[in-house]
Amino acid sequence: MIGTFFALVAKELIGFFRSWGLVAIVLYSFTLDIYITGAGIEMQAKNIAVGYVDETGGGMSRKILSRLHMPEFQKPVMFTSQEALSQSIYNREIMVGLIFESDFEKSLKKYGRSSIDLLLDSIAATQSFQALQYLQNILLDYADIGIPVELKIHKLFNPNATTSQFMAMAEMLSVITLLGVILTAAVFVREKENGTWDIMLLMPIDPKLIILAKSFSQVLIIMGGVVIATGIVLFGIFDVPINGSISAFFLLSFFYAFTSAGIGLFVAAVSKSMLQVAQISILIMMPLIFLSGAWTPIHAMHPLLQELSLISPLRYYIEGSESIFFRGTDVADLWSYFAGVIILGSVLYFYGFRKIGRLF
Amino acid sequence: MAKLEIRDVTVKHRNVTVIKDARLYAEKGEIIGLIGADGAGKSSLMHAVAGVIRFEGEIAFGGRRFGSPREAEKLKPMIGLMPQGIGLVLYKNLTVSEHLSFFSKIRNLKEDASLDRYRKRLLKMAGLERFTDRPAGKLSGGMMQKLSLICTLIHRPSLLVLDEPTTGVDPLSRRELWKILEEIRESEGTITLMSTAYMQEAAKMDRVYLFDSGTIIASGTAEELTETVKEYVYDPVPCKSERCLSTSHYTYSLDPLEALHKKPTLEALFFINALKRGVEIPQIEVSERESEEPIAQVVMEAKGLTKRFGDFVADDHIDMELKSGEILGLLGANGAGKTTFIKMLLGLYPIDEGELTLLGKPIRSAKDRQGLKARIGYVSQHFSLYKDMTVRENLLYFASMHRIDAAKASSRIERYAKELGFESYMDSLPTELPLGINQRFSVAAALLHEPVVLFLDEPTSGVDAIARSQFWQMLKLLKQKWGIAILITTHYMSEAEYCDRVVLLKEGKKVADDSVENLYRKHPGARSFEEIFLHYYEDGR
Repeated sequence: MIGTFFALVAKELIGFFRSWGLVAIVLYSFTLDIYITGAGIEMQAKNIAVGYVDETGGGMSRKILSRLHMPEFQKPVMFTSQEALSQSIYNREIMVGLIFESDFEKSLKKYGRSSIDLLLDSIAATQSFQALQYLQNILLDYADIGIPVELKIHKLFNPNATTSQFMAMAEMLSVITLLGVILTAAVFVREKENGTWDIMLLMPIDPKLIILAKSFSQVLIIMGGVVIATGIVLFGIFDVPINGSISAFFLLSFFYAFTSAGIGLFVAAVSKSMLQVAQISILIMMPLIFLSGAWTPIHAMHPLLQELSLISPLRYYIEGSESIFFRGTDVADLWSYFAGVIILGSVLYFYGFRKIGRLF
Repeated sequence: MAKLEIRDVTVKHRNVTVIKDARLYAEKGEIIGLIGADGAGKSSLMHAVAGVIRFEGEIAFGGRRFGSPREAEKLKPMIGLMPQGIGLVLYKNLTVSEHLSFFSKIRNLKEDASLDRYRKRLLKMAGLERFTDRPAGKLSGGMMQKLSLICTLIHRPSLLVLDEPTTGVDPLSRRELWKILEEIRESEGTITLMSTAYMQEAAKMDRVYLFDSGTIIASGTAEELTETVKEYVYDPVPCKSERCLSTSHYTYSLDPLEALHKKPTLEALFFINALKRGVEIPQIEVSERESEEPIAQVVMEAKGLTKRFGDFVADDHIDMELKSGEILGLLGANGAGKTTFIKMLLGLYPIDEGELTLLGKPIRSAKDRQGLKARIGYVSQHFSLYKDMTVRENLLYFASMHRIDAAKASSRIERYAKELGFESYMDSLPTELPLGINQRFSVAAALLHEPVVLFLDEPTSGVDAIARSQFWQMLKLLKQKWGIAILITTHYMSEAEYCDRVVLLKEGKKVADDSVENLYRKHPGARSFEEIFLHYYEDGR
């Protein structure tokens, strides 16, 4: 029984390591893909191109412009006319345009107030509105608002407020979900495609053992990927802190890998070809990932979606992992995340198991 | 100069030469046959002639030459290509008449009375005039091939390139396909190049070219060709030297033998060619089974087995019996219900109606089968084994699935490899094996647990003549030494000769079930099995 189980697992692992294309995709997903997401998706204002038209002849306008510097802003570029500036924004060379009209300084001196025209390319909404916020803060420094209150800020868990660490982690968890589903579905559907399915059915082996061994082999591959991604990308490149227990994280990942394998079993049961696997996986995965809070904070969702997010196992996995890495939550206090992943995971795995079991 | 001339054409696929220095010519109105196993280079040469792949060398047709697909472009209106595979050029939701008008349109033909007349004539030749409103997906395999052929003829090509148009098609439709070709060559003077898997068709061709692993080994009329090897072919006798080879019906020897000469078939050329080239052909052996298994007298008994897919009845109340020590051939065209029947026996398809008893045990549920799996061997169509594991790894995997202990398994695997002649391929991947080796290795995988019954689904299609005769040799030895029962499906009617008993299926119905001798006795005029089966097909009309 045990011998047969390991023979089945070994066969799947040999098959996996011999198909270098698959190995390359898995390695890419667990390293470069996570790195690109972490390093590339930038929500903070950074390196913004600024242009200006200054008709005042210097003075106040210079002072304001000198406050726009690296790393948030590039050195402001001067334009001679408003048309040239607009054109440049249209061409996406400049994201923020400042226009100091000729009476800006005069009006400021004479009446104590004035205005600056601001052009924003709000296609990159987050970045341009953060730029707006910076500018408002700069102007606020020059203004006398008359409320002598200063904000003292304490940033918890993520002192530099960098998004890259969180993004990289969230991407890794999404990769685990996606690959868990696709790899598991693939080991079954490849047999259908290659015509070995019938041969497999005719083995004098309990079908349950075949299903279990096949999905277990893919969970092993996923766990290998998790170790690589955590070690090299999260700790090595993004310096993600580990304030909690790393073994708790791996245990949670192991349960979660079975959850996504369960979805994979379902996909395998309804697909005839790898193309269908890809299509159905994406169809199932997208809501699962969107509802999990990986890309949108859950409290910002529509109330109905907030309710729905309770049935996304990825939600518990993300919140659990976040607690382990950043918050340093005690192992004993992680039970709710473990419960969420294990309960939803058992339901999904059992359902997938039954569904594919019917084909045997 | 001949109308069509192929001069030293070489085709390479990713640096592997698939056909080398091929030369061929054809005159107006000739039907030229290309004969050989899968992978011998026939399709590649035909694709080169049709101007769809790159090649080295030169092809001249009607006074114009081309050396590349681009240069062939201006000749395309004169060429008609029908690729391999039943119904491959058809669209299953379009009706017969929609197909004809679609193919007229993409060929940019002028819609006039003469085109209309020609289309009517084609429909009539194909016997499809009553089915013009039927979608192609609902036609039988034979009708699909006839429709494909007339769609290829719609622009009156003067060169027709047909890649295995008759493979898997029932004998009657095959005869009708031939009639269309004969008529077209009479009236239009079309040159036809066609490859075929059936040696019997060669007799009707003006000239045949024999292909063996990437070279043309001989050409001429079927009669001329068999004449050249007449002196080497004898009645079956045991062989003593390396320069001699015996199959169950013939002995081929380069040295003179003390035996009666026998009239050779075209297949003899492949054997003689291999002998002359000194190709080592492993002698197949089978030793006694290691385990003693009591075998029931009747291994399988089916009563009224029926399988429906929607409205379509794939198998219609079929009765069949398989005894131990018997090779039962299940014959029929593609779509006759052979594979469906085997899959019902194995439990891969649920049985809709009827009773089945396997190894003395009535089968009512999947549970009844679980215990029997260890005593049944099965080789599926196209010998599907795991492509990413070597031959050895595959065999070890199957052994462990059958819980054979490691030491016993590896000694058994070594023995099979030696006896069935794939020893030198143990560490290759199945995709790297010649088809014939792949075929025997797949059977070895199905024999590891020493089953008492073996089901084989189309194990011989596409395999070369030598490997095929070795394969039948192996089955015969298995039957003798193991007392195993074998059920084998094939669409080669000629292979019925190797079976003890044959069952003929036609459109899901059993039309014949008898021993080989009895069938010959009942049809004294018949020269071959092909002809016997033609009777059954005609009677059913």
